[in-house]
Amino acid sequence: MLTKEQKQQFSDILEELGKTLDISETQYEAAVKSYEAVGNWLAKEDSTLAPFSPEILPQGSFMLGTMVKPINDKDDLDIDLVCQLKGKNPDWTQEDLKHKVGDRLKAHGTYKEMLDEEGRRCWTLVYSDDANYHMDILPSIVDKGYRMILEKAFSDTELKDIEKLGIRITDNQTDNYDWETNHLEWLKSNPFGYGRWFFQQATLDFKKAFSLNESIAPVPKYKKEKLPLQRVVQILKRHRDMLFNGNEHKPISIIITTLASKAYNKESDIIEALINVVSTMENYIEERWSDEHGKRIKWISNPVNDEENFADKWQEYPQREKNFYHWLSELKKDLNNILGQSGKGLPFINESMQKPFGKDAVTKAFSNYGDNLRKQREGGSLNVAAKTGMIGTVGTAVKNHNFYGKEEQ
Amino acid sequence: MVKKNNRISLIVQEGTLKNMFPDGVTKRFREESLTWTCSVTPSPLSSVYTLKLEYIRNKGVKVYVLDPKPLLLATGKKHLPHVYSTPEQRLCLYYPNRIEWNIRMLFTRTIIPWACEWLCHYELWVCTGIWHGGGIHHETEAEKQANKEKEKTNEASSSKK
Repeated sequence: MLTKEQKQQFSDILEELGKTLDISETQYEAAVKSYEAVGNWLAKEDSTLAPFSPEILPQGSFMLGTMVKPINDKDDLDIDLVCQLKGKNPDWTQEDLKHKVGDRLKAHGTYKEMLDEEGRRCWTLVYSDDANYHMDILPSIVDKGYRMILEKAFSDTELKDIEKLGIRITDNQTDNYDWETNHLEWLKSNPFGYGRWFFQQATLDFKKAFSLNESIAPVPKYKKEKLPLQRVVQILKRHRDMLFNGNEHKPISIIITTLASKAYNKESDIIEALINVVSTMENYIEERWSDEHGKRIKWISNPVNDEENFADKWQEYPQREKNFYHWLSELKKDLNNILGQSGKGLPFINESMQKPFGKDAVTKAFSNYGDNLRKQREGGSLNVAAKTGMIGTVGTAVKNHNFYGKEEQ
Repeated sequence: MVKKNNRISLIVQEGTLKNMFPDGVTKRFREESLTWTCSVTPSPLSSVYTLKLEYIRNKGVKVYVLDPKPLLLATGKKHLPHVYSTPEQRLCLYYPNRIEWNIRMLFTRTIIPWACEWLCHYELWVCTGIWHGGGIHHETEAEKQANKEKEKTNEASSSKK
């Protein structure tokens, strides 16, 4: 069993690891600037979309604060965005909406060059050079007054009327793609309802919580401080990336995020949260009868739409189910191994974390941890405990001094 | 009024050491010398180390890591950081200018916490190959000699009644 102090130290190290995995404020601001520019272009007076006040909002991990840098610096960050139109021309089908957005993007010299092949639901803009990200833009329709409903949902302390946050999207594989003009018959999606649910799960004290509105504002504020659940999700995603780098059948982020959020028990420190999540997340995978498949299938329900199964692809690609369970079992082994190094010394902890999370990220995390200790001592907030000589938060302050001697040999 | 030479008696040093570390072993010879040996755990997840403090009047204070010996080194390094001697595992804990440390200070408020802090940063150094604890580099041989002389004079003068 870990002592309270050991848990604290593990959490401090994992917090540093999380910070290392997170995208930087500069990257964040650059991405916001880029998608705002896209939004402005779509909304400009000469745009056919202008009457419907299109707006670009982040969804997915960018909104949830669970982004992780790719393992390879050269790989792209994925930024998921919603392009929201308040209403539409009554004659427009899904196909019309999709192409009005696509055409408007193509009317811009630069975006035309950046536009990737048309996706099933999205348009993708590939930013190159030093930007290293691409943006998936999901065209959608909301009703007038949506913004107010959204803001209310994110400022209420209770989770209610989540279904009102649903938006209508286009999907070129639906039967009514090219003829249905009533958008209430289109596919429904609820990324903001999901976000609202996620923050309900993640927030330790909802009444005291920093304004959630900031998370969904057109310009969400960059937050260095993360909630324990956000850090846990980042750590899990990194572990997944290390195990399945580049494998298209790796466990998808929405499954990891959903199971972790369902399992999370509002633990206030990261290591406790991680231990609990890793050991119980699979309990939230159900089995349900599927008429389509004529058998019981694995079911990971969307918390804001019980009918949606995030694991629906596991039927078509059984490898994905296998990979998920393989990942979870590796994760359990790795976490147990790391915890088992307690009392052997930080070099053993460091060593045990390198394969699961990457040498560079782990080394950086320990470096930052060490720098923090030095800063704490310089600031007079580092203590030493009686009996054990343990450096940390307990005991009397360590007087400032200078280690002498050669630094490197 | 504060006396200029309020050197702390070794009896007091010994008492505070025993008080802070009941499991430590002390040996004192009048006001001439004091040694203290104790196991410490420098951070909650750290390994256990045995430290030895050795004070001899007019010769200053020395701190060693007795166990484990030899201490593990960071990948690619041949010597420990911030030590007077890697084979002896004698730690350099403060800048020897008599301001950071002198015999008017308690070991339990200075040398001992710094030694524990050294161990903590030592473990992190093994992890990263970088010393994160800050500090000052050794000066040249000439400066070293000059400082040594100074320290001796100071030690002698501060011990005069």
